[in-house]
Amino acid sequence: MSKAPATERAGQEGISTDPILGYAALPGVADEMLDANGQIKPVWRNLISHLGRMSESELTERFARADRYLRDAGVFYRTYGAQGSGERNWPISHIPVLIDGNEWEAVSKGLVQRAELLEALIADIYGENRLVQEGILPPALIAGNSEFLRPLVGIKPVGGHYLHFCSFEIGRGPDGNWWVLADRTQAPSGAGFALENRVATTRALSDIYAEAHVHRLASFFGAFRDALQSHKQYGEDRIAVLSPGPANETYFEHAYIARYLGFMLLEGEDLTVVNDRVMVRTVAGLKPIGVLWRRLDAAYADPLELNQNSHIGTPGMVQALRSGSLAIVNALGSGILETRALLAFMPTVCRRLTGEDLLMPSIATWWCGQKAEREHVAKNVERMVIGPAYSRLPFFDDNGQSVLGSSLHTKAKGRVGDWLAAEGSKLVGQEVVTLSTTPAYVNGKLIPRPMSLRVFAARTEHGWEIMPGGFARIGSGDDVAAIAMQAGGTAADVWIVSDKPVARPTLLPPEETFTRNMPGSLPSRAADNLYWLGRYIERAEGALRILRAWHLRYAESADPDAPLLADITRYLKGIDIEMSKAVPATLLRNIDSAIYSASNIRDRFSPDGWLALTDLAKTARRFHETVQPGDDASHAMTILLRKLAGFAGLVHENMYRFTGWRFLSIGRHLERGLHMTRLLGHMSGPDAPDGSLDMLLEIGDSVMTHRRRYNVNTARLTVADLLALDPLNPRSILFQLNEIRTEVEQLPNAFVNGQMSPFYREAMRLHSGLAVMTPEAMNEEVYRKLEQEMEKLSDILGQTYFN
Amino acid sequence: MLYDLSLHMGYAYDVPASGARHVIRVLPLSLPDRQRLIAGSVTVTPHADEKTTFIDFFGQQATSVLVRAPHERLDIRMQARVMVETPSMTADLSPELDKLGEELAGFWSVDALSPHHVAGPSPRLAEEPQIAAYARETIRPGQTVREIALSLCNRIHKDFTYDTKATTVDTPPKEAFRLKRGVCQDFAHVMIVALRSLGIPAGYVSGFLRTIPPPGKERLEGADAMHAWVRVWCGETMGYVEFDPTNNIPAGSDHIVVAYGRDYSDIAPVIGVLKGYGNQKAEQAVDVVPLKG
Repeated sequence: MSKAPATERAGQEGISTDPILGYAALPGVADEMLDANGQIKPVWRNLISHLGRMSESELTERFARADRYLRDAGVFYRTYGAQGSGERNWPISHIPVLIDGNEWEAVSKGLVQRAELLEALIADIYGENRLVQEGILPPALIAGNSEFLRPLVGIKPVGGHYLHFCSFEIGRGPDGNWWVLADRTQAPSGAGFALENRVATTRALSDIYAEAHVHRLASFFGAFRDALQSHKQYGEDRIAVLSPGPANETYFEHAYIARYLGFMLLEGEDLTVVNDRVMVRTVAGLKPIGVLWRRLDAAYADPLELNQNSHIGTPGMVQALRSGSLAIVNALGSGILETRALLAFMPTVCRRLTGEDLLMPSIATWWCGQKAEREHVAKNVERMVIGPAYSRLPFFDDNGQSVLGSSLHTKAKGRVGDWLAAEGSKLVGQEVVTLSTTPAYVNGKLIPRPMSLRVFAARTEHGWEIMPGGFARIGSGDDVAAIAMQAGGTAADVWIVSDKPVARPTLLPPEETFTRNMPGSLPSRAADNLYWLGRYIERAEGALRILRAWHLRYAESADPDAPLLADITRYLKGIDIEMSKAVPATLLRNIDSAIYSASNIRDRFSPDGWLALTDLAKTARRFHETVQPGDDASHAMTILLRKLAGFAGLVHENMYRFTGWRFLSIGRHLERGLHMTRLLGHMSGPDAPDGSLDMLLEIGDSVMTHRRRYNVNTARLTVADLLALDPLNPRSILFQLNEIRTEVEQLPNAFVNGQMSPFYREAMRLHSGLAVMTPEAMNEEVYRKLEQEMEKLSDILGQTYFN
Repeated sequence: MLYDLSLHMGYAYDVPASGARHVIRVLPLSLPDRQRLIAGSVTVTPHADEKTTFIDFFGQQATSVLVRAPHERLDIRMQARVMVETPSMTADLSPELDKLGEELAGFWSVDALSPHHVAGPSPRLAEEPQIAAYARETIRPGQTVREIALSLCNRIHKDFTYDTKATTVDTPPKEAFRLKRGVCQDFAHVMIVALRSLGIPAGYVSGFLRTIPPPGKERLEGADAMHAWVRVWCGETMGYVEFDPTNNIPAGSDHIVVAYGRDYSDIAPVIGVLKGYGNQKAEQAVDVVPLKG
C-alpha cells in the first residue's frame, strides 16, 4: 500500500511531532481514514489537518480534557475477572471514526431492513412457526435454545411489535463493504456510553467538531422517548427502565439513560403484580407501570414462569404480559435472535419473509448440524472460526469459547471432521473476517487498529431510526479477537459527517410547550436506600467525632488505660468499633455501606456527590493502613470529617427538596439523635469518669456554645440542657426529633383519611415527649428508653414506606 | 377405569410468608383415547386474593394464585374424577437407534408434541458423561428404540434403591446416579438423561398412581405422593411411549397424567417463591380410588 508524504496529508504545516507521520494501512486491510490509494478520505481531511498542526503536548492536554470529563461524570462499566468484579473507567479512544453521510445512508438502509427482518423472524418464532414447518429453520435451533421462552409463545406484544430497540455490531471487510457481525436484541447496551463518548470527544475536539457537519445524537433519543410514551395505555401509567442492579456491567448506563430520558430506574424487587398489572412500590403506594424498557435478560424477569433461580425478577410478570397490560422493550424471548447459528439462515429467511435479499450481508456462517455445511467447514477449517452454535455472543467477544481453525496444529485439523460429525448441531463455523482499521493515538502517534461499529436502531412512531453514530470498538492490537471490551479494547466516538450543515436538536421541548412536571413517585427501594445512606453517613460521622476526641486525649496522655479513655474504648466496643487500628475497620465498613446504598440510587445522585463519597472511602482506606494512634489519628479524623462535610454539603446544597431528600434527611437526623442519646446515656451519668462531660461537648461540637450560654463550668445539667433539650442546637436530640417531625409531615400518606398515620403519630409523640422534659429529669433510664423508641420509629418507617 | 382423586399439599413456614404467588399444576389432563377429566377443582387456603388459570406451552392447565396476607401455612387441595382407558398393547413399531436421528431431523415442527423439545439438555438436566456411559453399556446392537427404553427402565429399577430420605426435589441426576438411590423424580431424571445421551428424545411426566392395587397385585412405589415417570419418543410412527422406571413397568391404566415437560422444573406441582422464608415443612397426601372396573 502506498504511503503519501505526511505533509501532503496533514495539510501544509507538517511539523516534526506530526502524529500522522508514518500512518499507513495494513496490507490487504481496508482503512477508515485512507482510501485504497493511501489518500486521506475527504471527510477526514479537516480533522487530520487540525491534528497535524497540534503539538504533542496540546494533543495530550486536549485528550486529558476528555478523560477528565468521563472521570468527573463517573462513567464506568464493571469488569469481571479472577480478582472479582471492579469498576473500570470508560476506555475512550480519543480519535473519532469519521464516516461520510452518504455512505451512512446506505448503512442505515441495510440496518433498517435487518431490524424489520428480525421483527418478522421473532414474530414467526413465537407465533406460527412457518419457517420451521417449511423446512427453512431447523427445529433444533429453536427447541434446543435456552432463549426460546416457551411461556411467551402465543403472547402477542402490546402494540403488535416484539422489537423496539436493537443494536448491530458491524465491520468493514477488505473490499470496503460492511458486514453484520452480530445482532443484539435481548437488552442492547452502549447507547448511553455512545452519548457520553460524544460529549467527552467534543471536549477534546470542540473547535473541530463545531465546524464539521456532524450529525447530532439527541433527536434519536427524543424520538425513541416519544415512541415509548405512545405505548402507554393509560394516562397515569409510568415508564421505567428495569435494571438487574448495580452488580451489572452496564449499570451506569441504565442509571444514565433513565436520568437522561426522565424514566424511573427500577429493579425486579421494586415491582409487584396486582390483578395482572405490573405495579411499582413507591412511598405513596403502588403505581401502575405501562412500559418497561428492560435491561435484564428475559429469563430472569419472572421466577415463576421463567428461570426459577432468578432473584432479580418479578413473580407474575409473564401473567401481566399474557393479560396485555404491559408493553415491554424488547419482548421477553427476543434474545433468541442473538443465537449465533441463526446468522447462517438469515439470507434464506430474509428472502422468505421480505421477498428481498439482505442489503447488508452477515458474516458467513455455517451451522454444523447439517451435513453439507459440516463438510464445508471441515474442508475450509483454515479460514474458519468454530464456536458454540447457541452462543449469543459474537465470536470475538465470547471469552475464548471459539477456536480459530488456522491456530490448530496439523493433527488437530485432521480431526475437525470427526469433531463436527459428533457434536455438529452444537457448533457453527464462521469465516474469519478481517476488519478495517482506524487511527488510534498510541504513544504520540496515530497507528491503525482494527475496529467494529456498534450501531443502534430504535423503533419510533415513524418506523425504525438508526442512531447517526454510535461507538467504534477499537482493538488493542492487530488481532480482531482483541476487540473484546473486557480484554482491554477502547471505544471511539463515530462522526457521521454531512456535506451540508446539520440540524441541532435537543431533548428540551420548545419554550411555548413548557410545563412543570411534579417529580414522580419515589420507589420504596430508592427511599430505603436514601434513608440508609443518611444513616450510614451520619454513623460514620458520629464514630469519627468520638475517635478524634479519644486520640486527642491519647496524644496528651499516651495512656490508653486512663479511666476516660478506657471507658470510651468500652463504649466503642459496645457499638462494634474495635480500637486495634487507629482508623478502625468498622468505620470503613460504614462508609462502604453508605456507598453501597448510594450505588443503588445512582440515577438520583449527582456525579459530584458520588465522587466526594468514593474519595472519602479511598482516603479512609489509606488511613486505615498508615495512620498511627494519637496526634496522627486525630489529624486523620479531622481530614475525614472535612471530606464527609464536603459530601453532606454537596447533598445539602444541590439536592432537590422532595420526597427523596426527606428520607435521606430523616435517616441523618435519626442516626444523629441515636448517637447523641447513646452517648449521653453513657457519659453523662454520675459515675462517668472525669472529663466525660467536656469530651461530650467536644464530640457534640458544642464547646463554644456551652461557654457562651452557661455561666458555669460543665455540669451534668447544662450538658443535658444543651445536647439533649436545646431546640436550637443542631446536635441536640430534640433538634433531630423536631426535624424528623417536620419532614414526616410532608411525606405521602402522613395523613390517612384526615388522621395521622401511625408513623407520623409516633414521630409527633417522641418529639413532644422530649420537648417537655427538664434537664433534671434526664437520666440513663430515660436515655435508654428514648433510644429504644427511636429504633422503633425506624422500624415503623420501614413498615410504612419500604415494604 | 374411573378414579376419584384427592391431593393435599401443605406447607408450614417458620416466618410468615406474604404476597406469595404460586403456579400450581396438579389437575389431570384430558388426553384423547387415554384419559378424560370429568370434573376437577383446585383450592388453596388461606383464601387466594387472585386466582387465574392458563394453558401452558405443553398444553396443560396451570393455576396461578396469590395469597396477599401474611400466612404461616399454605394448603393446596385438588379433587378430581378421571376416566382412564386401559391401553391396548401395540406392536413395537419403533426404529432402530441409528434410524431415529433421521426421523428426528425430518420432523419439521416445534409445536407442543415435537420431540425436539426433549432431545437435548433442559434446565434441570445437563449432559452427564457418567450417565451417558451407563446408557451405552446398557444397550445392545440391533435394539429398537422401545427396546432400549425398556432395557434402561429395567436396569435403573434394578440398580437403584427407592429411598425417600436420600435425595430432595433439588438433587441433580448426577448425584442421584452416584447414590443409586432416590424417588420417582430421580429415577425419571436419570432415565431421561440416559436416553437423551443416546440421541433419544425423552421427557418428564408428572401424575398420580392408583393407591390400592387390584387384588393379588403389589402396591406400587410412589402412590402416596404425586408420581413421575418418563415418556420416550419412539419415532414418527409410534410417537411417545411412557415408562415408569420406579416400578419397572410401562405406564398403564394405573397411571394418571397431570403434565408433560422437559424435566421437573417445567411442571413442578407447585412453583413459587417459598425459598428464603426460613425453614419450611412440607407434607403431601394423595388418594387415588377406583370407582368401578
